[in-house]
Amino acid sequence: MTETSKGWLAGFYAAARTARLESAGWITAAASLLWLPQAALVAAVIAGLLDPASAQVGPLAGTAGFAALGLVRAGLEVLAARWLMEGAEAALSLARRDLVAAETARAPKDPSRPAAAAVAALASEKLALLGPWLIRLRPAMLRARVVPLAILAAALPLSWVVVLIFVVSGPLIPVFMALVGMAAKEASARQLAEVGTLNTLLLERLQALVDIRLLAASSRVVEGFRAAAEDLRARTMAVLRLAFLSSAVLELFSAIGVAMVAVYVGFHLLGALGWGSWGGLSVGEGIFLILLAPAFFEPLRDMAAAWHDKAAAEAVAEEMAALEAGRGALMLGAGAAVAPLPGAPEIALRGVAVQIAGRWLRLPDLTVAPGEALALTGPSGVGKSTALALIAGLQAPDQGEIRVAGQPLGPDTADAWRARLGWLPQVPHFLAGSLRTTLSAGPVAPAAMAAALRLARADGVVARLPRGLLARLGETGAGVSGGEARRLMLARVALAAPQVVLADEPTADLDEETATEVTEALLALAAGGATLIVATHDARLAARMGRVVALEGAV
Amino acid sequence: MRALRAILRRMWRAERAALLRGVALSAVVLMAGVALLGLSGWFITAAGLAGMLGLGLVFDVFRPSAGVRMLALGRTAARYGERLITHDAVLRVLASLRVALLERLQRLPYGQMLRLRGAQTLNRLTADVDALDGVALRLAMPLAAGAVTLAISGAMLAWLVAPAVALWSVASFTLGAAAALIWAGRRALAPSRRAELAQQAFRMRLIDALRAASDLAVQGRLHMQRMAVLEAEARLHSARDQVNRVERRAGFALSVTVTLAAAGALWLGSGLAQAGQISVAALALGFFATLALGEITGPLRRGMADLGRMMDAARRVERLLAAPDPAPAPAAAVAAPRPDPTAPALAFAGVSLAAPGSSRPVLDALSFDLAAGECVAMTGRSGSGKSLVLALAAGLIAPDAGRVLLAGQPLADWPEADLRARLALLPQRAALMRGTVFEALALARPDLTEAEAMAVLEAVQLTGVVAQNGGLSARLGDGGAGLSGGEARRLTLARAILRRPQVLLLDEPTEGLDRPTAEAVLRGIRHELPAAALLIASHRAVEQEFSDRLLRLDQAAATT
Repeated sequence: MTETSKGWLAGFYAAARTARLESAGWITAAASLLWLPQAALVAAVIAGLLDPASAQVGPLAGTAGFAALGLVRAGLEVLAARWLMEGAEAALSLARRDLVAAETARAPKDPSRPAAAAVAALASEKLALLGPWLIRLRPAMLRARVVPLAILAAALPLSWVVVLIFVVSGPLIPVFMALVGMAAKEASARQLAEVGTLNTLLLERLQALVDIRLLAASSRVVEGFRAAAEDLRARTMAVLRLAFLSSAVLELFSAIGVAMVAVYVGFHLLGALGWGSWGGLSVGEGIFLILLAPAFFEPLRDMAAAWHDKAAAEAVAEEMAALEAGRGALMLGAGAAVAPLPGAPEIALRGVAVQIAGRWLRLPDLTVAPGEALALTGPSGVGKSTALALIAGLQAPDQGEIRVAGQPLGPDTADAWRARLGWLPQVPHFLAGSLRTTLSAGPVAPAAMAAALRLARADGVVARLPRGLLARLGETGAGVSGGEARRLMLARVALAAPQVVLADEPTADLDEETATEVTEALLALAAGGATLIVATHDARLAARMGRVVALEGAV
Repeated sequence: MRALRAILRRMWRAERAALLRGVALSAVVLMAGVALLGLSGWFITAAGLAGMLGLGLVFDVFRPSAGVRMLALGRTAARYGERLITHDAVLRVLASLRVALLERLQRLPYGQMLRLRGAQTLNRLTADVDALDGVALRLAMPLAAGAVTLAISGAMLAWLVAPAVALWSVASFTLGAAAALIWAGRRALAPSRRAELAQQAFRMRLIDALRAASDLAVQGRLHMQRMAVLEAEARLHSARDQVNRVERRAGFALSVTVTLAAAGALWLGSGLAQAGQISVAALALGFFATLALGEITGPLRRGMADLGRMMDAARRVERLLAAPDPAPAPAAAVAAPRPDPTAPALAFAGVSLAAPGSSRPVLDALSFDLAAGECVAMTGRSGSGKSLVLALAAGLIAPDAGRVLLAGQPLADWPEADLRARLALLPQRAALMRGTVFEALALARPDLTEAEAMAVLEAVQLTGVVAQNGGLSARLGDGGAGLSGGEARRLTLARAILRRPQVLLLDEPTEGLDRPTAEAVLRGIRHELPAAALLIASHRAVEQEFSDRLLRLDQAAATT
């Protein structure tokens, strides 16, 4: 476990910590200790039946007392479970919310951003692995410190041999647990990886269903998958055999401890072993001791059983710490809908430079007048997309200043500035939900929608879709062609009636005719008075703009 | 519930032996626990009595103490075996369910296959299969093992202690536990479903918020999307709290059940012992054995609390698995039609096709011939149906009107195996899988030799790239990671060439390649397949220049 992940886990616990969460562990310990009077009552009842003359507790009173204590114990356990579970869920919720807030505040074009699916997996599934660590392991560790000591204290006045058996076999358990812990950590990590691999294998094959069919490889692929699954099973079992063996050794020690106490007490009561107690055990005391034995080992076994929760929690902490350490540039503003920034939408860049993946990108000083049509050109990686992101406030420059509508573009002005922008992304992304959801957040007048679709030459696309605007398209536009997806994105821009349009490689990967249509649609937006800035290396598109700025990316 | 039973039946049919082994060993562990506690109690009490009566020297101490030791050690060993066997059973069940799913989905119609390809659909599906792993581990096996343990323990208690004590212990425990678990199953149903739905919504909304961050920010919607993510999170949190509450209450009821069952056994046994009907040692046996029955319910609590989630997952998976199979009878049963040597390799005759789900025709009475050794480039703006023509030609979809002929015989008459042997299609988004380069190629031809593999790599201009990465045994990551887009594209092209088809259909084969490479690749295809008919869906000049003639799709009645 690295220092950073240890630090993260400590921070997580500090944020999760409440009085209830803290005291819940003690309540579980108290519930465990209630077994002492319960055992004493049972022992007294049985001893009383064996020797009615010396009976201290009658069967009715003893049974009633046992049941009453059992109810109290169950009540304490359910109370502790409530505090633990609620505390843990609240802590997880907090961590998820923090993660969502931090990740959605990052600059969208920052290349160090992890894949969206990886962040989602961390937030929705992996973080949940911290729950058992809070709910099971921590209270078990507390009980393992408290309960055995209390039982030793209860056994000492009766028999020093029993205490000796406990003391000798008890501390061996943590020694073995260290071994178990190490083996279990490896085993659980390996097992998680194996199950993950099986899912990845399945996922890949399902993604390739069409290819497999076209290659007439169906039966071979199924056989291959079956063999891979069998292989995984065999390897996982080899690891588990080892891990389970070490925990079996642990159980063995507690079983031997319990059996030794039982045999010693039995022989002692028979008179075969006269030593080991302070002047002889009564039957009741013998039964009491035998009832304590499993309870002595139970917290240690609970802790061992929950030990792999620690490994899982540490693995998650490691990932979280790495994610937090990798967080870089932030987006300006919150991305909220606010009133547009007033003033003529002039854009000015002065001495702007950003550092991306350790490399400095410098942009030329530039002023874009309202209504101007500008092409940013240059080879790949020169910073064309970055320039658009900077102008949209999706990222802050490391040096220099950007002024929009006469004001510096900063956290306070970015949302208001973006309310005047339209953005055409290079890679379309369709939101989960209908096409209408992707095109607009709120209701749109049918006439405005029709006009926007017409302007973007996307009316035909929508008409062809089985459910029109209610159709659900895949995330990257499965269901429409690449050119159709681009035109739908353009319709979204048109719908917002922006005063400045930023388009990132609007004609990349399009055939000539579709490229021409997209170009015309963009020019139609410009003809309506909007400023148009395109990042492109399509010479024909650049030629249609009023001005071309070639970026050189000089350091 | 019906879907859950159906899934369970599938698991049972596939892995009967493994499941039975798991149940048997779980029952052995539970019974050893009951016997150990019962015997220990009996032994101490009997020994105490013997000591009191001064009979210590005649009391047979060795057999019971040996029994205690044997049970203690035997239980440890059985526990070890049980853990191994149940994990083995779960891994087997997990694999067999996934194999069944893969087998079934491979027979889906083309349109459904395409829809399945979305990352979110697939994530959903794998999450569902994961949820079903608990059906065996936390529901079926513990229930069966618990029932066996209860029955045998009841019989033993009736024999060794007294029928009344046995009846009380088993009946009170069974009734209490069953009531608690059934209550939990019912009460947790709705919240565990809600938790699952909220989790899916949280995940999908978060992915949208991250992937479309730029778009959403510029539209002023990012903050709203963030709020929507947090709203799903709040629903998840509250649903999880509700599931936990049900689980806790069920746990309380189970704990009370065990206490009352044991207290009842103590009280009943005391009465019988006072009346002299049973020995005090037998009373101790009955009490301790009843106390140990509590272990049965351990894994069931979470299983019942997760019931709703499992049931929903079962319903979705079962819907896929049990859907009627649209694929025709196995191809082997049908004889391949005789190819007509005088007919064109591929011919479309008056083929019309509407866009899926709409009546608007994309293709209207399309007719063309494609001869062996000929290369035709299909052109037309995006959306004009180029990819649809290829899907029609490959028999993946059927035309609304008109006929597609392969070697003079209607496409529908060709059995799947003969069709795939004669015709190959490189789709626009061809997929690669984790494995070596050789394995990727061998998917097309199981009897592939290294020499053939090298030849086809040369044809698609990949020899250099592959040599740099370590040759044919170079490993590709998930989905072919490690190759650039253009390289991955050429590897899938090589795979299609290896099928040695008489008709090769290519969807934008040189997309993303620079002009000299694209020309070399096209020449390589022709060199490898000199007599094949090539049909290319194309928007690049380089492909069109290479072709013998063009087929323009957007001209109303496209003919040769």
